[in-house]
Amino acid sequence: MFHQPTTFEQALELRRALGTDATVINGGTDVVVAMNHGAIHPQCFLDVSRIRSLRKVERQNGHVVMGAGVTFSELGKMHFRALREASLSVGGPAIRNMGTIGGNIATASPAGDGCVALLAMNAEVQLASKARGDRWMPLVDYFIDYRKTALADDELIHAVRVPHNPRSRWYKIGKRGAVNISLVCCAISQNENKKTELAFGCVGPIPKITPKASALLAGEELTPELINDAANLVTHEVSPIDDQRGTATYRRAMCGTLTKRLLTQLMKDDAKGDADA
Amino acid sequence: MIQHVKTTESNQALDAPIAPADHLVGKSCRRIDGKEKVTGTALYGADLFPNSAELFASVVRSEHAHANITAIDAKQALEVAGVLGVYTHADVGGTNIHGLIRRDHPALASKRVRYLGDAIAVVVAKTERAAKLGRDKVKVTYETLPVIATMEQAIAEGATKLYPEGNVMGDKRIRKGDVDRALANSHVVVSDTFFTQTVDHAFLDIEAGTGHWDGQTLTLYVAGQWVHEERRLIALALGLPVEQIRIIQPVTGGAFGGREDISIQIYLGVAALKHQGKTIALRYTRSESMRVRHKRHALKIQSTFGAKADGTLTAAKIVVHSDEGAYASTGIAVMRKAASHATGPYRVPNVEVDVYGVHTNNNPTGAMRGFGACQMAIAYEGMMDRIANALKLGRETVRKKNLITSGDTVTTGQRINPVSVGHCLTKAIQKFNDQPYPGSDSLPAHIKRGWGMSAICFGLGYGDGFPDCSRARVELADNGTATVYTGGVEVGQGLLNAMMQIAGEELGLPFESMRIVAADTELTDESGSSSATRQTYFTGNAVRMAASELREQVLDIAGIKLKVHPHEITLQQGWAFESAKPDNRVRIERICTEGLTRGYSLKASALFKPRTIEEVPGTGQSPRAFITYLFGAHVSQVLVNTETGEVKVERHIAAHDVGKAVNPQSVEGQIVGGVAQGLGMALMEEVTYKNGRIMNPGLTDYIIPTIKDLPPVEAIIVEHDDPGGPFGAHGVGEPPLIGAVPAILSAIYDATGKAPCELPMNPERTWRLINDVRENDTLSKVF
Repeated sequence: MFHQPTTFEQALELRRALGTDATVINGGTDVVVAMNHGAIHPQCFLDVSRIRSLRKVERQNGHVVMGAGVTFSELGKMHFRALREASLSVGGPAIRNMGTIGGNIATASPAGDGCVALLAMNAEVQLASKARGDRWMPLVDYFIDYRKTALADDELIHAVRVPHNPRSRWYKIGKRGAVNISLVCCAISQNENKKTELAFGCVGPIPKITPKASALLAGEELTPELINDAANLVTHEVSPIDDQRGTATYRRAMCGTLTKRLLTQLMKDDAKGDADA
Repeated sequence: MIQHVKTTESNQALDAPIAPADHLVGKSCRRIDGKEKVTGTALYGADLFPNSAELFASVVRSEHAHANITAIDAKQALEVAGVLGVYTHADVGGTNIHGLIRRDHPALASKRVRYLGDAIAVVVAKTERAAKLGRDKVKVTYETLPVIATMEQAIAEGATKLYPEGNVMGDKRIRKGDVDRALANSHVVVSDTFFTQTVDHAFLDIEAGTGHWDGQTLTLYVAGQWVHEERRLIALALGLPVEQIRIIQPVTGGAFGGREDISIQIYLGVAALKHQGKTIALRYTRSESMRVRHKRHALKIQSTFGAKADGTLTAAKIVVHSDEGAYASTGIAVMRKAASHATGPYRVPNVEVDVYGVHTNNNPTGAMRGFGACQMAIAYEGMMDRIANALKLGRETVRKKNLITSGDTVTTGQRINPVSVGHCLTKAIQKFNDQPYPGSDSLPAHIKRGWGMSAICFGLGYGDGFPDCSRARVELADNGTATVYTGGVEVGQGLLNAMMQIAGEELGLPFESMRIVAADTELTDESGSSSATRQTYFTGNAVRMAASELREQVLDIAGIKLKVHPHEITLQQGWAFESAKPDNRVRIERICTEGLTRGYSLKASALFKPRTIEEVPGTGQSPRAFITYLFGAHVSQVLVNTETGEVKVERHIAAHDVGKAVNPQSVEGQIVGGVAQGLGMALMEEVTYKNGRIMNPGLTDYIIPTIKDLPPVEAIIVEHDDPGGPFGAHGVGEPPLIGAVPAILSAIYDATGKAPCELPMNPERTWRLINDVRENDTLSKVF
């Protein structure tokens, strides 16, 4: 069965009725790959790609709200630097035209570039169900364990929102220039109160934030010494593993290196009075 | 399959002026197969499925890297709806064994499996899905054996033996002069150990094809690299006489050596023979293709070079261990190539090389672009940079001082003439200097720029006394078209155009009048393999000789028509005319018609079989180990992020002496493609194993370069007439990859001050090299 609702309400009704019997699909850039690898054998699909309302990006009460169906190509045009650069580092143009932020959040891969950028930007995710309506939750609470999330069996991802003024930076280390899976990636953001958030990909079972380093940095002017201390903390907070893409040693070191590099960029921009978002 | 197209009579007006001479050799004639490939109408192996497949096959593979088979039970598989048969070794009529140099690889294993790609049974079903379901239901019982995962394990005392004679497959040696004495008397002695990685061919066109048995002939549409040899191997394994097998090559999307070993042919044959009258189809997934196919040999190369204070090389002592995997494949030839190319294009008076091939339970290793020569170039070029560094001499200086020049010998004792490697290096560096080198000054402190170079040689063809030969046939039709028949396979390299252009040049015909039939064992004669960079030279020579024979017939007939001596006639653009009086002329169509009525055959065939001389065992010396040598030189410029280890190639210049570029655009394509593949080998490509299991059998984690990784490649075509080649041409296929890898490593060395010795130089390896981080270093050391 291939269900293709055109409104979100219809989709929620189908989700209520079908639950996990139906595989939710939008661009298919994760689902189809998993099918090809024989990892899943869906008999029934709930295709949300025809729901126009999911493709909207709008400003609301100091936030930018992105529908779950916004593609990486669209996100690549946004003014949030970390999210924009992270989105443009996903796959190639064909994948970015199909892949969506909702899908990235649903898959919840520790290598999900979009999730890492959003985490650093204090994003919240909106989950919706027919029975209980909408609920917003911090994205950091949504990720529970490896590919395990707070999404209930009758819920769909509706939208994601970020405060609209954080300054942010992004860096991804991979093995090639495009269609590039992260070996490790890092996003940082800072708001006007100098609250700094850091997030990392591929360093644990879920996209990871580093609260101790954030606490150290909170409200402080960036200095080389402070940046060094934060980077050191980060290397102890992340928990990467050895796999065939890279070793834990390298990833751990890179988390520190990227922390240092991205915070230094912010510090230098401060000095220049550059208020780039 | 390439069939010639029926053509209409030339519509060229008989009174039109003769077009000026248009030499097809040296012209970038549009690729005859280009339009079909670009528009998507070309039929590759997998494209044959929708049209012709009636039944589908699937292959049961070993579940263990090393085990004895104790039982094969097909009962449950046969109960799957749609499954028609499950066939094992017991159903194979012949030897059930294949292998390119040694016949050692069971088509369907009966007693023992030696790697995870070993095939055990073929399932045939009404649908592909049923065939795969059936495959998963075949129950094989094993008695597992210890897995030999590395060369170290293979040669360790008391190691489990893959073969009764042990795990060392063979050895090759070079002995020249007195190495130990020369090293003792050297001003500087430099040593290092290089580790090259296992590489996959990663061609786009995954193994796929069809088989059909009509009771008389087994017809296989499967892409290989040497259809006539494949026919022999299949015939032996299946127990059929060769003449009952016909192989037709579908359009082929890349090979790079990866189609030299038998792939799906025997499975299709086993299935087809059991289902007479039905077309059986079989295709791999990317994952199966990578798990099953042979790979490039991973080499451990221990190099010691000595030099005088002025940089003159005195001696080289080299020990190589080569991971041969489970079966021999082309391993023996790869070992020989490694030995004979161990010191590359350098003059080294004292040389000692020992190459050992070691069996493991990894995938068999075999042919891949530049085999043996490519790995050794990484080591000898690495040594040149290290010597330059140790002596505080320029890298170009050390190379130029030692590069062979015309009349010098390479390490096998073969005298080479002409030698153009120094010229190639000069050309490449000149091109590099066309743009000012920006250095690192304007870069952030953690980004370093560097540039490096390589100079390489390559012995063309199989060499070493192997009876390497090519046949070709050329025929003229009464409509003035000429058709070339060759057994050579087009795998994307441009063979078809090259052969048509060579024949057209000889016959004075325009490209539009040329046709070709290739790679069909029924319609064409054997032309050897599309490998070893040999087709332009070998089949090109055979085509030229056949066309030349035909040219004599044409001139004789034209002489009758024009009433002049044949030596006074020019053939140009489909006309024959009196050289001194061009108005006295006749069209080729008229000549052909006239010739046929006069009993001329208008057909000619030729065999090109030059002699090479086997190397003396123990010393590796031979006056002509290879028929001719190719030379090239590269310059590469890189950016290295010293904090993360990321490397970006900014510029890459490749100069190659091809003798004569038959089709310059194709030559350039080969150079650019070789550089791309070399960049992949230098920086990212690596098959990783864990206990014999490939951990990255797919293009998600087997990383090949994208267009974003490749700088615009600056190709320089150098042409020094090869006296033995057709119109002076010799070839280009493999050298561009061989030159690319060491030039990139040389640039990384220049940028970082650290000499790479392990491949690929992915971010983590480069970072470890720069920061001297070892496997078990603590966090305080690494950050």
